[in-house]
Amino acid sequence: MSDVTDSVAEIRDLRVEIDGRAIVDGVRLRVLPGKVTALVGASGSGKTTTGLALLGEYPPGARVTGEVRRTAHGTVGSDGPVGYVPQHPAAVLNPARRVSALLDDIARPQVRHLPRAQRRTTARALVLRALSDAQLPDAEALLRRYPHQLSGGQQQRVVLAQALLLGARVIVADEPTTGQDALTKSRVVEQLKAVAARGIAIVLLSHDLDVVRALADEVLVMRAGRVVESGPVERLWTAPRHEWTRRLLDEQRAVPQGGADVGSGRPVLEVRDLTAVHDRRTAVLHAPRLALHAGECLAVVGRSGSGKTTLARCLAGLHRDHDGEILLDGAPLPRSLRRRGRAQLAAVQYVFQDARAAFDEHRPVLHQVARTAVRLRGAEERAATDEASATLHRLGLPEALAHRRPGELSGGELQRAALARALLAHPRVLICDEVTSGLDTVTRRGILDVLAGLVGEAEDLSLVLITHDLDTARLAHRIAVLDTGELVEQGPAQRVLTEPRHPFTVSLMETTERLEAGTRT
Amino acid sequence: MSGLRSFVARRLLLGALQTVAVVLLVFALTEALPGDAAVALAGDQPDPARIAAIREAMDLDRPAYERLAGWATGLLHGDLGTSLTSGRPVAHYIADGFGPTLLLATLTLALLVPIGFGLGVLAARHEGRLVDRLVSSVTLAVYAVPEFALGVLLVTVLAIKLAWLPPTALGYGTDLLAHPAALVLPVLVLLSRPVCSLSRLVRAGMVDALASPYAAHARRYGVPGARVRYTHALPNALAPAVQQLARTVDWLLCGVIVVEALFVIPGLGTVLLNAVAERDVPVVQGLAVVFGVLTVVLNLGADLVAHRLTPRAGVAA
Repeated sequence: MSDVTDSVAEIRDLRVEIDGRAIVDGVRLRVLPGKVTALVGASGSGKTTTGLALLGEYPPGARVTGEVRRTAHGTVGSDGPVGYVPQHPAAVLNPARRVSALLDDIARPQVRHLPRAQRRTTARALVLRALSDAQLPDAEALLRRYPHQLSGGQQQRVVLAQALLLGARVIVADEPTTGQDALTKSRVVEQLKAVAARGIAIVLLSHDLDVVRALADEVLVMRAGRVVESGPVERLWTAPRHEWTRRLLDEQRAVPQGGADVGSGRPVLEVRDLTAVHDRRTAVLHAPRLALHAGECLAVVGRSGSGKTTLARCLAGLHRDHDGEILLDGAPLPRSLRRRGRAQLAAVQYVFQDARAAFDEHRPVLHQVARTAVRLRGAEERAATDEASATLHRLGLPEALAHRRPGELSGGELQRAALARALLAHPRVLICDEVTSGLDTVTRRGILDVLAGLVGEAEDLSLVLITHDLDTARLAHRIAVLDTGELVEQGPAQRVLTEPRHPFTVSLMETTERLEAGTRT
Repeated sequence: MSGLRSFVARRLLLGALQTVAVVLLVFALTEALPGDAAVALAGDQPDPARIAAIREAMDLDRPAYERLAGWATGLLHGDLGTSLTSGRPVAHYIADGFGPTLLLATLTLALLVPIGFGLGVLAARHEGRLVDRLVSSVTLAVYAVPEFALGVLLVTVLAIKLAWLPPTALGYGTDLLAHPAALVLPVLVLLSRPVCSLSRLVRAGMVDALASPYAAHARRYGVPGARVRYTHALPNALAPAVQQLARTVDWLLCGVIVVEALFVIPGLGTVLLNAVAERDVPVVQGLAVVFGVLTVVLNLGADLVAHRLTPRAGVAA
């Protein structure tokens, strides 16, 4: 282990400072070929900065000291290429170009030594091999598509294929499983395992401890820019030494159980014979009957592409290509948002997965939260601001933060603000679309507590939780399971989670359990 | 792609309606003007009896809707009508004027595209530095000068004081290509403002595109800078520029009256100006039809190109 030459990359005493504040301090890291090194920690712990340092990239205006060394094919001195798979693969795929564009450009220098006539075919062969190495079938057709025509999983594998094509000896994977359902998650784990088996070193930046447990060889626990504990994954899990590590692991394990029963009577929101289509033809969702009672929390569970977000968008009037009826207090809701009145808009509120994208970056959060009350309920500016302030405080966002702009808030803080903004409409139904994915375990716990509080305290507020995460679904009174656009099962949460009836629900549960297997020992 | 086809069909139908609306509006406005072709023809002998005679000879005494209906029937058969003042077919007027206009537009466009995009990319590449500030401030300054002012200035300096170029195209007829020197000033004036608006749009789009994660990703994987700029970033900056380009071409083909008048170029703008002065309603209407169709087709083309450049646009809505 102490032999320096067998590592493919190494970081020594890295310190990254912005405006005199250290965001990474004294980090040491050795990356070995064929091994998975995981950096875990809450958001803001400095793990992404450390990972990007391996790529030679630093935040703008940063003062960097320390040493980052990368080795090309065992020779010390020359820098070998490092691949990068970011948290949102779509961001690094050019929206205006076909998938093949960047892949061809990466392959081009590798065929420059060949005679001109052979270059094109050889380059294409290299690209196809990289795609098949990244487990992307039907590569020829895929190359001609645009990034937005691919699923999230395909996008991720295309980005991985780029790194493989580059001949990267180290691949930095930033939160590769965030926002994924259990089945997809286990596929990503298998995929990264296969990459490591090729002798490529993987640096995994993650707050998903299940995945770290399943993948990593070495784990570094980071907090506030420092490595507080490191060691082999087994040792860390069974005998964590640092208090922070223990806390991280505990947060992962403890998940509250949802309340018991809810009143029946007339449902607040009712879906009848809903069939949603995309492009006027392809049916993507079929929900014969779904009811939401006052004060009830309904979790809609399914893997990505199962139509759960489409269901949420139909309810909110964001997807109008559908048949059937959506009734609010027995009265049908217009299909399009544009045709809904103010009261109807206020009654059904939506909180999006990406809180940052849901805020105007130029105006203080407090104003934007208060605006809902002014627009949808005709409240006075003054009263609205007071109420916004109070609601934000109740959801755990201090006064000082509320006056800042969205750019100065963390993802978790913004998600609280987004919830507050929706609540200011005094909604009957609050739709939360994957509001906790993309957050680390500690922050996620906080948001889940806020949601649990909402269900308990307000009697007439009903929640629809769209999630792929069964832990989050435990919060709900009832669970509806979607698979490839079909409502395959629904029932009380306790029953669905303990004795699932539909084979798909069973497989979803099993995958979750397998991923968690190590965590709960 | 059937969605695209129905989009094109809907847009063409809407375009036809828009053209009809333009023609009706133009007809109504020329009716509302005091005087008519008969008054204009009578010239300096405004004897009411004579004017009435001319009116009768030209069928101007018939009610307006009858004249409009007659003209519209002819249009359906591809006949744009005949001029009231000369009796020549309107189609001839348009064919004569189209040559010089098309020539000017083509030359302007051929220079506009490389200069506009080049300056925009150059400024974006040096964002915030001297080159960018220079390009941005000069383009803003030039954009603020109207065509007629710039035209007069250029004529005064380059044609009259320095005598390098002919001041107008007077006497060269419609065969302007044989006298390239006469084209330099008009093309310069026509270029001035479109170059500015286009390069500023391209700059704005490129600044965003160059700062994007996908551009950073391409650089990270060793793609050369020029390739990142032109093949990865630029396609994302093109969509707004294409719309602006379509508007510019539309303007070049349909409405450069000021520049044509200033340099005495016998293009469509001059034809229009004369027709209005002579109350030659069929010619004005014929031009309105041509301009309407051109505008509809050009904007549709731009939308299709923009659709191609922003493949996501149809999905997000």
